Amino acid sequence: MLQHYTPSTRDVTKLDPNKDYGTAASTSTTLVTLEIDGVEVTVPDGTSVMRAAALADINIPKLCASDNLEAFGSCRLCTVQIEGRRGFPASCTTPVNAGMKVITQNEKIAKLRRNVMELYISDHPLDCLTCPANGNCELQDMAGAVGLREVRYGFDGHNHLEAEKDTSNPYFTFDPSKCIVCSRCVRACEEVQGTFALTIDGRGFDSKVAAGQDEGFLDSDCVSCGACVQACPTSTLMENSVIDMGQPEHSVVTTCAYCGVGCSFKAEMKGDQVVRMVPFKGGDANQGHSCVKGRFAFGYATHKDRIKEPMIRDSIDEPWRTVSWEEALAFSAERLKAIQEKYGRESIGGITSSRCTNEETYLVQKLIRAAFGNNNTDTCARVCHSPTGYGLKTTLGESAGTQTFDSIRHTDVMLVIGANPTDAHPVFGSMMRRRLREGAQLIVADPRKIDLLKTPHLKDALHLPLRPGTNVALVNSMAHVIIEEGLEDTNFINERCEDEAYQKWRAFISKSVNSPESMESVTGVSANDVRHAARVYAESNNGAIFYGLGVTEHSQGSTMVMGIANLALATGNIGREGVGVNPLRGQNNVQGSCDMGSFPHELPGYQHVSDDVARSNFESVWGVKLDNEPGLRIPNMFDSAIAGSFKGMYVQGEDIAQSDPNTHHVEAALKSLECLIVQDIFLNETAKFAHVLLPGSTFLEKNGTFTNAERRINRVRKVMPPLAGKEDWEVTVALSNALGYPMDYQHPSEIMDEIAQLTPTFTGVSYQFLEEQGSIQWPCNEENPLGTPIMHEVDFPIGKGNFAVTEYVATEERASRRFPLLLTTGRILSQYNVGAQTRRTDNQVWHDEDVLELHPHDAEERGVKDGDWLGISSRAGQTVLRAVISERMQAGVVYTTFHHPGSGANVITTDNSDWATNCPEYKVTAVQVEKVSQPSQWQRDFVQFDKKQQSFLREDRKVDV
Amino acid sequence: MSHSQLDQLVSMANQIANNNAHQGDETVVVNFVASHLKRFWARSMKQQIIDYSQTADNNLNHIAAKAVAELAKEYA
Repeated sequence: MLQHYTPSTRDVTKLDPNKDYGTAASTSTTLVTLEIDGVEVTVPDGTSVMRAAALADINIPKLCASDNLEAFGSCRLCTVQIEGRRGFPASCTTPVNAGMKVITQNEKIAKLRRNVMELYISDHPLDCLTCPANGNCELQDMAGAVGLREVRYGFDGHNHLEAEKDTSNPYFTFDPSKCIVCSRCVRACEEVQGTFALTIDGRGFDSKVAAGQDEGFLDSDCVSCGACVQACPTSTLMENSVIDMGQPEHSVVTTCAYCGVGCSFKAEMKGDQVVRMVPFKGGDANQGHSCVKGRFAFGYATHKDRIKEPMIRDSIDEPWRTVSWEEALAFSAERLKAIQEKYGRESIGGITSSRCTNEETYLVQKLIRAAFGNNNTDTCARVCHSPTGYGLKTTLGESAGTQTFDSIRHTDVMLVIGANPTDAHPVFGSMMRRRLREGAQLIVADPRKIDLLKTPHLKDALHLPLRPGTNVALVNSMAHVIIEEGLEDTNFINERCEDEAYQKWRAFISKSVNSPESMESVTGVSANDVRHAARVYAESNNGAIFYGLGVTEHSQGSTMVMGIANLALATGNIGREGVGVNPLRGQNNVQGSCDMGSFPHELPGYQHVSDDVARSNFESVWGVKLDNEPGLRIPNMFDSAIAGSFKGMYVQGEDIAQSDPNTHHVEAALKSLECLIVQDIFLNETAKFAHVLLPGSTFLEKNGTFTNAERRINRVRKVMPPLAGKEDWEVTVALSNALGYPMDYQHPSEIMDEIAQLTPTFTGVSYQFLEEQGSIQWPCNEENPLGTPIMHEVDFPIGKGNFAVTEYVATEERASRRFPLLLTTGRILSQYNVGAQTRRTDNQVWHDEDVLELHPHDAEERGVKDGDWLGISSRAGQTVLRAVISERMQAGVVYTTFHHPGSGANVITTDNSDWATNCPEYKVTAVQVEKVSQPSQWQRDFVQFDKKQQSFLREDRKVDV
Repeated sequence: MSHSQLDQLVSMANQIANNNAHQGDETVVVNFVASHLKRFWARSMKQQIIDYSQTADNNLNHIAAKAVAELAKEYA
């Protein structure tokens, strides 16, 4: 069952990702040869002696060094002797020289190291046998390595052995009595995470690690990313799960199932129990870093709320009946067939999951197209990044971001639009912060003052606080400045872009209506700032644009994506390291679910259903005739359900009842279905309207692949058996067979082989190749046999770049006398999306309710104080949340999250949507806010309905026991 | 067919027309909108909007109405 990591065969990563080489790799291309203990070693110039030795497998003892941190030279354990030099230099801080002769071990060095170690141990508790680090303690290993045999000083002197533990963080314990003040945790917090929450307080013997202003970890700025815990060479910072369970005995490399960064983790196991998740240094996306979600919030996988058996019922007003898989699948198949018989072939459809694997998503859309016989398939990308697909395909020819995350190391100017990376994509947020500390300039276009603007040691930053809904006006006025002031990259435009489209666009964008001065009254951003931002972006060597749902979730989402691509094309910021257009994807596999043909108009690989050649390829492999007309999108399915023509749905791993806008409308649609089949790990909000509940499996329980925001295909590896016996793909296979369309796969690798056969950008992808490469960025085919880290280097899939005319059209959702404020929604660090996973973990300590953030001016006008209950009404509905007064907001704009179902954030969002893709306009809702004393009617109904549905689940479980 | 569903389709078609008014002269814009409907709308949605466009006093704007008329040539 378990598959172990096979080291990559690529030259650059011949390194062992499980070994710590002490200091970071040098990027120099000049090679230097030296001699270490008589062994000749050739390494890049700038490499430390310690690393050069480690590369030759000469492992110099160390405590304060780690290859993800700057060399520090404080522990003095790594001292060596160098011929012709005096004394004992620290090998971590000494760079190699040509012809250098290094001695890493002799009697003098050994004595020195023993003396150093003796001092450390004289102030360290000797409870090694009962210490949680026992079996994995660098201090213990080093004591062994240097041959420490006695501590002549005794243990009675002044010491730190009575220092008190800090257990405020739910996931790890800080035990300062074990601290050797190596500063690795402090440096990890600064250099890796970029938060600067930790410091060394005091001097000399009194030096100690402190969180924030010497407060508890939980109250400090600590974001619980786990970098300090990973860096600690003792048990001073230790995962509580290790304290409880002991050291793991084996590990499996897999991919995190939270956001679109797609971090690689080692699932460290005891049998089939996860002891801890440790970010994997060999992971190309995260390079050994993590956030609080991926690192710690995995407990939901074994939560008591997990659905363990299939269940069915005739109506949603009845209790569930637990049945066998066979019965549940037969019941589902019979109902779906009966509906199609009665209402027609197009009366059913399904939703693929952006949390499930590529293989699972592929199978669900295959089931719909081949077994249901229609194209009524869609996915949650509809409500997040569908405009990215449309906009980038139109302008650049491919529905995906253009870069690797690592490319940011070469970025000089970051333009961040409608994204909040330090909360929503934290590991990439840390990479951004590192580059900002190195001096890159930052431009943020966002209604809110996001945390990236508060990056410690930020050099040059500009915030363009635009009004929600005016993105296109802003991006057009930036482009206007670039053309007006002659800042465009004429060579790039001439060589790489379609001239007719460019001339048309140029004429359009040059109109004075698009100038920053004309648009100032629309966007609310000063024309001077817009001009400055345009110049900074256009004049930089490498300008990169990063954007999120603040771009796409608008009535002009697709227009804005094209406006962003126009900016990049006009300035030649496409096709090399450090530049590009980078959509930050929300869910772990939202890129993959789009790639895999989840949309109703596209087969896998973005091949339109009306394309006869593509369709006939699928028809011959799938053995059925396929419909050449697009199917219904999610909002169209809801409308058709209410209208009575759409009656059955198969929903895998998505909670549309909580995540989709205009909850009243969604609930009405779900209630009108005659058969709703929900496959999920929990009784989510959608499942409360279901007739069939099929238990899903978590990412820990299945094999497959996820594709992250860099188009990187990463392996997901099973570390424990699925709780209900089936991985999600196996359930779809069984449902298809029950429907009479045979599917026969023994392993997800066979599904990937079929995907590769039918998808031109995947022809080179296989599980075997993934094992060899670690990960692959598509396109991976004959032209790009090793995959494609940077897209559009030579040309575009459509030949030349295509400028699009992007006229600003104001949304119909406007502030009015009745609804004078604009509500915008987003995410926070500790919770993920609808919260189904994170709410069932200790991440709740950071955010156990959604609140409404509003500007002091708006609060004062309404007599609102922090913590007051506020009724928020829009033309769609009303809900009640607690007030938090915040200067992050601009006056006139309020903000909330949607992590808790009872908050009803989507009761107030409307059914306005992007003109091209129907992606909902979550980011702009006109609202009024007033003080209230009780929950809204919807919230009271929600509590009743929830109680009833929970009891339907429990009643059955009682019978079962 | 419910009113709200039809209202939604009408407002979607009008929105597509409004957002692409600057693509070129009227023929270019009409063809753009018709092609968008063709590529992204489901069969049942196309049929509903075509049927609706043939009713008197409909709420389709000028461009959307012409685009739907183009669509009707292919689908009616």
